[in-house]
Formats: sequence, C-alpha cells, structure tokens
Amino acid sequence: MKYILSISVLLSCFAFSAMIYEFDNEADEIRFNDLIKEIRCPKCTSGSLSSSNAPVSEDLKKRIAEMINQGKSNAEIKEYVAKTFGKESLYDPQFQQDTFLLWFGPVIFIFVAFLLFFLRRKT
Amino acid sequence: MNLMLRFLVLAFPIAFIGMFYVLLSTEDTYPGADYKVFEIPEFSLPALDNSSYIDNSSLEGDFIINVWASWCITCRVEHPYLSKLSREGIKIIGLNYKDERNDAANWINKFGDPYDLIIHDIKGSLALDMGVTGAPETFLVKNGIVVAHYQGEVNQLIWNKVFQPIIDSKKINLK
Repeated sequence: MKYILSISVLLSCFAFSAMIYEFDNEADEIRFNDLIKEIRCPKCTSGSLSSSNAPVSEDLKKRIAEMINQGKSNAEIKEYVAKTFGKESLYDPQFQQDTFLLWFGPVIFIFVAFLLFFLRRKT
Repeated sequence: MNLMLRFLVLAFPIAFIGMFYVLLSTEDTYPGADYKVFEIPEFSLPALDNSSYIDNSSLEGDFIINVWASWCITCRVEHPYLSKLSREGIKIIGLNYKDERNDAANWINKFGDPYDLIIHDIKGSLALDMGVTGAPETFLVKNGIVVAHYQGEVNQLIWNKVFQPIIDSKKINLK
C-alpha cells in the first residue's frame, strides 16, 4: 500500500505542473495573483496571464514575481508590461489622450441621448 | 427642429455603419510588424561559443537582431534568406532564444552561420525585455535604438515592405 501510494504521488502530473513563485509575505502573493489577472498573455489572442502557461507567459510571471520581491509598485510593473508588450496588454486601459474617447465615449453618448430626448419633449 | 431630429435619426446609424465599414475593411497587411522605438535593454549574456560575455557596448552601429532557436521550425525556413542578407554584407546579430548550447552550435554547423555575433539567451531574459513572444523575430537597430520589430519569418517580401522603407527613411547603414 505504501509503495502504491508513493508511486502514485511520484507519477502524479499535478505534483510537477504548477510553477512555484515565492514571496516574502502573503500580501505580496495576493498582489501577484491580482496583477496576473489584470495582464493579458502576450502570446494569446485573448486570455489573462494567469490562465496561460505559454513559455513567454511563464517568463513574464517570473519577472513580475521578481519585481514584486524587489518592492516595485503595481504601477511600475504595469508600466514595464505596457512598455515591452504594448499598452493593449493591460485589461484596464490607462487614462491617456488616445484613450479619452474609450473612457468617456459612453458618458458623452448618454448625455447626447438625454439632450435629444428633452429637446424632443418640448416640441 | 423636427427636421433636424429626423436628420439625426438617420445620420447616426449611417455614421456608425460608415465607421465600422472603414475600421473593418482597412486591412493590416503586415500584422507582425511593429514600429515602436525603444533602446536595447541593458544586458550581459555569454556568446554562443562561450568565449566571452556580450553586453550593450559590444553592439555598435546599425544592424539587425534575429531571434532564433534550433527547435524553431520557421527559423529553418528563414535561414536561407538570412544567409543571403549576410552575403550581401548586412550585419546580423543572432539572439539564440531558450536553446541548449550544443543544439544551437550543431544547427549552425549544419546549416551555416549568417550571424556576426550570437548571444546565448538560455532563459530568454533579454528577449523578454525586448518584447519577444517566440521565434523567429527580427529587430532593426540604429545606434542601439530599435526602430522596427517583426514577429515571424523574414523573407524578401517582408524585407521590402517592412524593413526597407525604414532603412531608407532613417538612412540606416547595415553594411
């Protein structure tokens, strides 16, 4: 029984499947897990970094873990990712001149719709 | 007023249809091309023959960087074209990506060496900093600054359409 158990543990694919990232404290680990959900996998058409085990995603996750352990902030890490793999790598687009319409487009649309609605009621 | 509203009701959908038509019909012929300008990240990695360490100061002037590996099938397809560029005197730096030293050396011995210098990046650290997602990928570099990046096989068509216009406009001297 003991042998069967130890062999099954050795052969278990789950025992070797996960990459292990080490952190100094739990807060950093939570930060890491949140970050890799907010960053897109560079190799996939869609899908987050956390869902991908493509070689480049593993490298990027390792780099992010390193940066967290070096005490880098989330903003610094996201800046690195956007710089190397393009700003489309971030699921949450940053506030910038070229993303203005993306952020405020819906608000402007609703405003115009309301305006037209009230103008119409008056006539 | 009523007339204007009627006009708007018609104009809005037409404008939307027009916008989608333009967005969807403009074909990006070379989706692998990227013209983001950035400096080569700081690095220090061994040469493939392990004779020395290569860092930013070893890379001077204008050249192309080609990311390759012995496990990469498209690199094999691309190889004759790189050899042709090399014969024309174009300076090519090889970035050997996530490859065993022996496998890479055998590949070079078997198929020929178009590279002026080969950097051995076994962990893919420099490649990651440069935004490499796989192999082959090629960068056009002017004085340590990357001015074009192509993901995928470089051939005569890609060279003419993606690289040559930048080489001409920025007066890059690869020889």
